[in-house]
Amino acid sequence: MEHRNYIVSMSPHVRGGQSIETMMSTFIIGLIPTALAAIYFFGIRSLIIMVLSMATAVIVEALIETLTHQKRTFRDCHALLIGLLFALILPSSVPWWIPVVGATVAIVLGKALFGGLGNYPFNPVLVAWVVLRLSWPERMSLFFEPHTTTQILTPLMAFKEDPSLFYSYNLSSLFLGQKPGLMGTVCNLAILIGALFILYRGVIRWHIPLSFFAGIACFAAVLRYINADVYPPVTFHLIGGGVFLAAFFLAPEPVTSPVTPTGMITFGFLAGILTMIIRMWGAFPDGSFYAILIMNSATPLFNYLKPKVYGRSYSA
Amino acid sequence: MGLFLKGITLPKRLSAPSLSLIELAAPEKVILPLRQYVGEPSEAIVAVGDSVKTGQLIADASDTHRLPVHATISGTVTEITAHSDPRGLHVESICIESDGTDTWLTPPEAQQPPPDTDNMVTRIHAAGLIAQGPFSTPLAYDLVPVDQPKTYLYRDGTNVVQKIDTLLINCLDAEPSLGVNRYLASTHNDTLEQGIAALKAITGATRVVFAVDKHFSPWPQLNEIVQNDEEEATCITALNGRRFPTGLPIPLVKAALSREVPLPYGHPRDVGVALYDLHTVIAVGTSTTSSAPQTTTMITLGGGALKQQGIATVRLGTTIGSLIDSLGGTTDAAKIICGGPMTGMAQYDRDTPITKEVTGLFALTDTEIQLSGEYRECINCGMCVKVCPVNLLPGILSLYCAKDKFDLAEAEGLFSCIECGACDYVCPSRRPLVHLFRHAKHQLME
Repeated sequence: MEHRNYIVSMSPHVRGGQSIETMMSTFIIGLIPTALAAIYFFGIRSLIIMVLSMATAVIVEALIETLTHQKRTFRDCHALLIGLLFALILPSSVPWWIPVVGATVAIVLGKALFGGLGNYPFNPVLVAWVVLRLSWPERMSLFFEPHTTTQILTPLMAFKEDPSLFYSYNLSSLFLGQKPGLMGTVCNLAILIGALFILYRGVIRWHIPLSFFAGIACFAAVLRYINADVYPPVTFHLIGGGVFLAAFFLAPEPVTSPVTPTGMITFGFLAGILTMIIRMWGAFPDGSFYAILIMNSATPLFNYLKPKVYGRSYSA
Repeated sequence: MGLFLKGITLPKRLSAPSLSLIELAAPEKVILPLRQYVGEPSEAIVAVGDSVKTGQLIADASDTHRLPVHATISGTVTEITAHSDPRGLHVESICIESDGTDTWLTPPEAQQPPPDTDNMVTRIHAAGLIAQGPFSTPLAYDLVPVDQPKTYLYRDGTNVVQKIDTLLINCLDAEPSLGVNRYLASTHNDTLEQGIAALKAITGATRVVFAVDKHFSPWPQLNEIVQNDEEEATCITALNGRRFPTGLPIPLVKAALSREVPLPYGHPRDVGVALYDLHTVIAVGTSTTSSAPQTTTMITLGGGALKQQGIATVRLGTTIGSLIDSLGGTTDAAKIICGGPMTGMAQYDRDTPITKEVTGLFALTDTEIQLSGEYRECINCGMCVKVCPVNLLPGILSLYCAKDKFDLAEAEGLFSCIECGACDYVCPSRRPLVHLFRHAKHQLME
């Protein structure tokens, strides 16, 4: 009987777990409830923004890989994820060219310039968001009332102008999404459903989201304790702005977040506190995106918070 | 206990397929390497053309670093030459062509019990037993006798006196895919009690712990041994055998006894544990009741390219090619592995013999191995950190190893890596982590 030559390689001889494609598509599936909620609250306009952003991201990545003769990896769903996430942190009022420019910036400046997936130090989505926020501030902070095209301030912006206003919002509308805001941040329920899915599939772990919430809650609770008349309740801070999306989809982004359990908890907690500092005393109404971007730069440091290597106390 | 042990849960297709026993005929030809363990090769005492009988001594051992070799079939010595072994090395080997009769020098049923004057370590050595596992040294060398404790000097100057207090019997297997110990734990073995008694007497262990797989209950004989122990110094610890690498020595000592073996370079005996497979313990029992040498070994046979899967008692020296053919092996086997799919060695030669070290033989198809040969950059996802049983950061280590920063890798604990392959298994970028670690270790040791 003729036998083929056997393959020889190092163990392990079987593979399991996830691939980059399944990981990224799990993230995208996790964002579907949020995207549907955005379409429900802000109409077909938000669907067009999302499609434009995703298409641009994939096309730009494919172009870059062709022009620079790199391995074609644009099909791995990562560009698609960047496009979708970027669209979800835009207000629904933006003109058509904002998602196109933003997705291009995210792929070129955020990802490709640093060497592609695995090498960028900052979350590309947030890099693009900051570039656009600073370049066209008035277009990036124009919010519509849900189901209409009436201009209105978001809860956090209103609070910045007049601290007593937060009593005019009821908690259920803040949680379910009946409020002005970024497309992907209004409906916390939808984000939570998607987040439970990605947690269950194991692509993110509980450490960063939970400690991020803990950081915000602790800081807000202390402020509330000091002066309950000026500072809003903890729940307002947790569900009033973009904290849910930031905690579940932006902060635990694999490349730019720490890998050790202690590192992840510290990262999340400090990002939460930084969010509160920016909200309270910074120039911007919602600080969670900036906070994550700043913490990204310290990610290599958090990886020094290592677990004890097994059996090491004995010999070292 | 064992609750906080990290690792991976393997899917059903990689758990022991079936624990049915397969009967095999004696092979027509055997190749017996003169070194089937970690140590020095022994010296052949037969010449080409000699006729030998089953159980006859064909190579002698002068010290405990070597083991005697016995013929496993009767026939004629055709060749004494260097031959590939399951470790991928070339070892001087004796080839025997069968005469088809399989006559024993002394039939097993006529074997006399060994003379009482021999001490038990000598008998274990004469039977040619090894301690199966990653260390695979001759069993007589591996045992720490109670009256002569070994001291071991660590590189940092710590002096460890190895004094055994616990005999830990591994009734799991090194990997969930293997099943020999699980099979033996569920059946009755005549010589198990003698084996335990002998090992207790040699090492001075006062406590016996069986680490069993909770998915493979019941264990009638083990329960009986626990009940009959009047000193109540025997117990059964049920662990999750689908979890990997619970069955490897260092995580097992942690899971079953909550003791941490010092790493790097540590051994369970450094923390007072004599850890042996159930398979080995039974062989020790046999060697104390009869002077028959080890001529067979029990291995797991699996993989999609085999028609028959299960447990089989195989003559030592059977070539893997003839074994696969007798099990209805198909030609679509892409990889032949001695050991389990997670930690075993890939074989290239169908004439490689089954030795005492081999715990399983797997013939995997292309779909099972999912070999793409391509890997992506580390995306820092932390999956490897989540599963590493010794708490390393495999992803970051692999970056150091890939960029030849071996000294940095060593400082991060490279030598504590037990090469279980859990990180490699889960990596979404399909990085060859274990390969990189072995390469770095090799470079550093030169």
